[in-house]
Amino acid sequence: MTVRNRGALAALAAGVAALTAAALVACANQPAGTVGAEEASTLASPAPTAASAPSVPVTAGELPAGPKIIPPVRLLIPAIGVTATVNAVGINERTNEFEVPPSVDQIGWYRYGPGLEAEVGSVVIAGHVDSAKQGKGAFFRLRELDQGDTLTATGSDGEARRYRVVAREEYAKTKIPLDRYFARDGKPRLTLITCGGPFDAKARRYRDNIVVTAVPA
Amino acid sequence: MQLSYFRRVAAGGAVAALAFAGVGALTAGPAYAATSKVSIVHGIPDTPVDVYVNGKKTLDNFKPGDVAGPLNLEEGDYDIALTKPGEPIGSAILTVDDAAVPGGANISIAAHLDATGQPKITPFVNDVSKVDAGKARLIVRHTAAAPAVDVRAGGTPVFEDLTNPNEAKGDVDAGEVKADVVLAGTDTVAIGPADLNLKEGTATIVYAIGSAEGKTLDVVAQTITGLHSAPGGVPSGDGGQAGTGVDTWWYVLTGAGVLLLLGGGVRMATARTGRT
Repeated sequence: MTVRNRGALAALAAGVAALTAAALVACANQPAGTVGAEEASTLASPAPTAASAPSVPVTAGELPAGPKIIPPVRLLIPAIGVTATVNAVGINERTNEFEVPPSVDQIGWYRYGPGLEAEVGSVVIAGHVDSAKQGKGAFFRLRELDQGDTLTATGSDGEARRYRVVAREEYAKTKIPLDRYFARDGKPRLTLITCGGPFDAKARRYRDNIVVTAVPA
Repeated sequence: MQLSYFRRVAAGGAVAALAFAGVGALTAGPAYAATSKVSIVHGIPDTPVDVYVNGKKTLDNFKPGDVAGPLNLEEGDYDIALTKPGEPIGSAILTVDDAAVPGGANISIAAHLDATGQPKITPFVNDVSKVDAGKARLIVRHTAAAPAVDVRAGGTPVFEDLTNPNEAKGDVDAGEVKADVVLAGTDTVAIGPADLNLKEGTATIVYAIGSAEGKTLDVVAQTITGLHSAPGGVPSGDGGQAGTGVDTWWYVLTGAGVLLLLGGGVRMATARTGRT
């Protein structure tokens, strides 16, 4: 075998090795993927309104009373080892974004939306996947949840309510249909949100959101 | 509650004129949106009434302080009449003929006293545009036999010099606020104080009703829900440990691999054909 042939063979071998390594890395870094997207979207459709009653509803024009909402205070997801305290959170005034609790082992319930008592609409809980300073967050493994996994949300009334995962979806943050997940109508459901997808190290930002939808079990 | 979020909106007599005259142009939606939601607010003290719409009794023994509706009314002109309960429409105490209801609007029709204490009917177009996440809309309507007033929240005037039959409105932080109504430019409390619970994503409409002279000043409230918006986003990670997909080095590696394969292949091929 000539020197030249050996060089060529070495180049071929190196090329194969490089491509194999690249393929392995690519496989290991598959996005979470999406299951149950159709079911999640069906849940969000408002129920058809009953035919309007013949008589006109009359109410006393009293000032609106304080809402009777039951906030979730604790969330358990055995399948991915989550036991987290839930804080009631709102909107960051500066960014107009969901105010996820800064401590990554705590998660936030959107206090403007429905609470656990709601018979319609989406109860939204969001948590960090991780943080540069604090490491892994409560929802680090949210992307591993699958259809049929169960979780338990305990309300401020002490009652534990069980839910069953029906969908896991991944959306680019620029395309996620947030209106659907923050809806106050449609079937009662629990929506868990965190970050995921490719990470932009310069902007310190994930490209995607992972959304898990669960219904009362 | 941050008062700076109150945006004073010019009330003007325009509101009333708008509803029955030119609202169609502003609010008319696509052709299919021909019905409007119409609520009726009773703000005349001590005077229960029957309400007739186009000669048909729609509300029976409608009491002061109550809100009826919303009714879904087709776009068109309507005759409205108020009678004492049980009395025939011929002896109505108040009538409005050919009230134009535009298509696709949300309207409140208030039966109330004018500034001099005479009963009248004023239509208001309700602002049902979406509010930002975390906000609630407060609308205050002066429908009482009373002079100009200021509306205060936590003791600070937020709507000033409001007169009958006009409205002022603003989008504010959702939550509870202690509100009262004072004679314009004074600290003389006319109504309240009352705790207002402004729920996020709703419009709370407060009508000042009754008569200052008759000492019957009061409020009627109407709430419109479903005006909420979703947050702008859910930022929930800046660590990068859960990143999926591939980095720049992956493309470099793949590119190098392809080049090596091509280069090696070409050399092998040229060697075989014996060309040097």
